[in-house]
Amino acid sequence: MLDVIARILAASLVSWLLFITIDVLFKLPEKGGVSGATAIGRSIEEEGGALHGGYMMGNIVCSPDASAGTLLAACGVYIAGIPGGLAAALLVYLGNRICHDPGYAGTTGAILATFVVFGFTQVGFGAEEFIAGMVLAILTIQGLSHTGASRLLATLWGWRA
Amino acid sequence: MAGITGEEIALIIVVLVGLFAALRVAVENNTLRKLPYLNVLSFAIAAAIALLIRHPLALLAAAAFFVGSTLESNAIASTFAGGSTEDD
Repeated sequence: MLDVIARILAASLVSWLLFITIDVLFKLPEKGGVSGATAIGRSIEEEGGALHGGYMMGNIVCSPDASAGTLLAACGVYIAGIPGGLAAALLVYLGNRICHDPGYAGTTGAILATFVVFGFTQVGFGAEEFIAGMVLAILTIQGLSHTGASRLLATLWGWRA
Repeated sequence: MAGITGEEIALIIVVLVGLFAALRVAVENNTLRKLPYLNVLSFAIAAAIALLIRHPLALLAAAAFFVGSTLESNAIASTFAGGSTEDD
């Protein structure tokens, strides 16, 4: 049982690095993609957080980003292997268009995550460990401390910008 | 705890995160700041759908639920922001 938990934590770290890297490369912290994302960013700043980190958190709320892509790709690989992951990428692409998202962070994240998750299933991981890992990874950004998470994201954005 | 499978451990973690996020949504007073917690809850529900029902249509259900929930959060946040702007 402890080995499963250890693998879930490792999968969580891999998922975290994957989605944060893609989201920052796709400039999610630069500005709110829609007015709602901008409003969430400003609200987090009012609470004592960092504005650009808040924008990224707002963008994650308002459209499926690389984190959602990673989760759904892991679900796809769990259900049907690589074809399942690629089907998830298509669904994320449609989801982005439905949510008026001009970007491709979600689709890119889902495609990359499909191959990352599949690769890890070849070395003893289970795709379900990535599903739980991604839920833990998003918890650390969106669910624990908005102030702390936004400051961390703003620091990463500072390196990118 | 003998005989518990990896899938069950994953499901337990997902459910615990979902319950925690639901509590945070309920406790937070600011509507805009509720939405990131709601986002975590949506992740947990989509994950639970796939873990509980290992069927191709479950992937469609999880994605449809997640995108629908995201669009609702988007609409709520944009309404609080004063409606759509030329960027939307």
